Amino acid sequence: MPDRSQQTDRSPSEQVRALYEEAESAAAKAFEEAVGKPSFGALLARSAENAAALARIGSDVADLVIRNMRIAGRSDITHLARQLHRTEDKLERILQEVELLRDEVAAGRSGGRSANGGEPSTGRRSSSETS
Amino acid sequence: MSSIERLVRTPAAAFEFANILLTTDDATLGASEREAVWTHRGITLWRYRSSQRTYPVPVLLVFALINRPAIFDLRPGNSFVEHLLQEGFDVFLLDWGHPEEEDADMGLDEYVCDELHWGIRETLRASGAEDLTLLGWCIGATLSAMYCGLPRDGDRDRVRNLALLTMPVDPRDSTYARWVGDPAFDVDGVAEHYGVLPGRSVDFANKMLKPVTNFWTTYRRLWQGVLDGKSRREAYQPMAKWVADNPNFPGRAFAQWIKMMYRDGDLVSGRVRLRGRRVDLARIDQNLLIVTAAADHIAPRPTTMPIFDLVSSEDVTHIDRPGGHIGLIAGSAARNEIWPEISDWLRERSER
Repeated sequence: MPDRSQQTDRSPSEQVRALYEEAESAAAKAFEEAVGKPSFGALLARSAENAAALARIGSDVADLVIRNMRIAGRSDITHLARQLHRTEDKLERILQEVELLRDEVAAGRSGGRSANGGEPSTGRRSSSETS
Repeated sequence: MSSIERLVRTPAAAFEFANILLTTDDATLGASEREAVWTHRGITLWRYRSSQRTYPVPVLLVFALINRPAIFDLRPGNSFVEHLLQEGFDVFLLDWGHPEEEDADMGLDEYVCDELHWGIRETLRASGAEDLTLLGWCIGATLSAMYCGLPRDGDRDRVRNLALLTMPVDPRDSTYARWVGDPAFDVDGVAEHYGVLPGRSVDFANKMLKPVTNFWTTYRRLWQGVLDGKSRREAYQPMAKWVADNPNFPGRAFAQWIKMMYRDGDLVSGRVRLRGRRVDLARIDQNLLIVTAAADHIAPRPTTMPIFDLVSSEDVTHIDRPGGHIGLIAGSAARNEIWPEISDWLRERSER
């Protein structure tokens, strides 16, 4: 809290601003205390559950409408994307096995040097993309 | 400034204020050239090459699953990546991307056992390094710690240094825990209904931790700065754009995170199991740097401190400074304060 001499040195607009900032700071503290209470947590949790359920119902209805129009809905696209991800997961593991074997062959040829020979890999999926 | 001057200036300031807010999305994020080294699903490993590489041990940055890792490289002159490059480190960044509904099945086990593991593998291959520094921030720090807490095999042995910035370890006594820690909150149901938690919802919850500051004071201060002619558009806009960029949180990972961290405290009690393997933080024996922020409201300092009793590292450094969860590392003062401290720590531990 500024003392009286400091307050009198300030212009009226500065004093108003200081008072406002003090009030804002007190409000901020009060709100932080309020949101820290379990009752607020319960309210937020219920709101999240309700919003999630409503989103799900809305999405299901919209998907049903679109499907009945013989158009691929969001769930169809998600299903397709999941299949792609699974394929990509398998491909990643195969690529890693191939790299491991290639490193072993290289190490065998160079007579026991370290796995990647201390040389930087070319990076099999390196992209020239920059940003 | 007199009251009359202020009154005259108000219309121009209003236009300037509106312009700053409306053009925030046009701000450019990122200061450093980078190239994609590896991609899997929507995840990308970026490489930032140092033109003056001095140290053989590259730094792999791992950010949280909320918000985007652009905060590491916000804008020229205020970029942690730029700082590390200038100090002579080769820098890699594991970018979790923007998860969509098809990523709903991504759990913490996928993030730690697959994506992080593979990211480390690709970093070592691309750099030709024998080992690396793993630097995680927020949830990224927890994922990094979990990775190092798994039983050793192959690349797991190759993390030489572990830096954990504002990391949640045992947040059971936090505001978040009071919100989501109650067993009555059906976290599995929410995760299942949403598939992926909308980034906006997660951001709203984060902002509700300090509602007045986030929803009002930020804008009031910007207005005040514009009115006083002291606003710095180039500083405000990149940060505001970053704050507003909220990727979705995969439902499965969200449910695991809430139960593991906020309800059961599994990480500190050693009950976390990923793919059947127990995460034991006592396995962390790397050179360890812990950074905590005194005014952190996302991962309050007391929730990080238990880490010191759990690890077995002999070389442990703790940097504790005033500042918030993000401001400490990305604020305007970070460049002259915390970044040099972190790079000094890295330098001493990154010689061949």
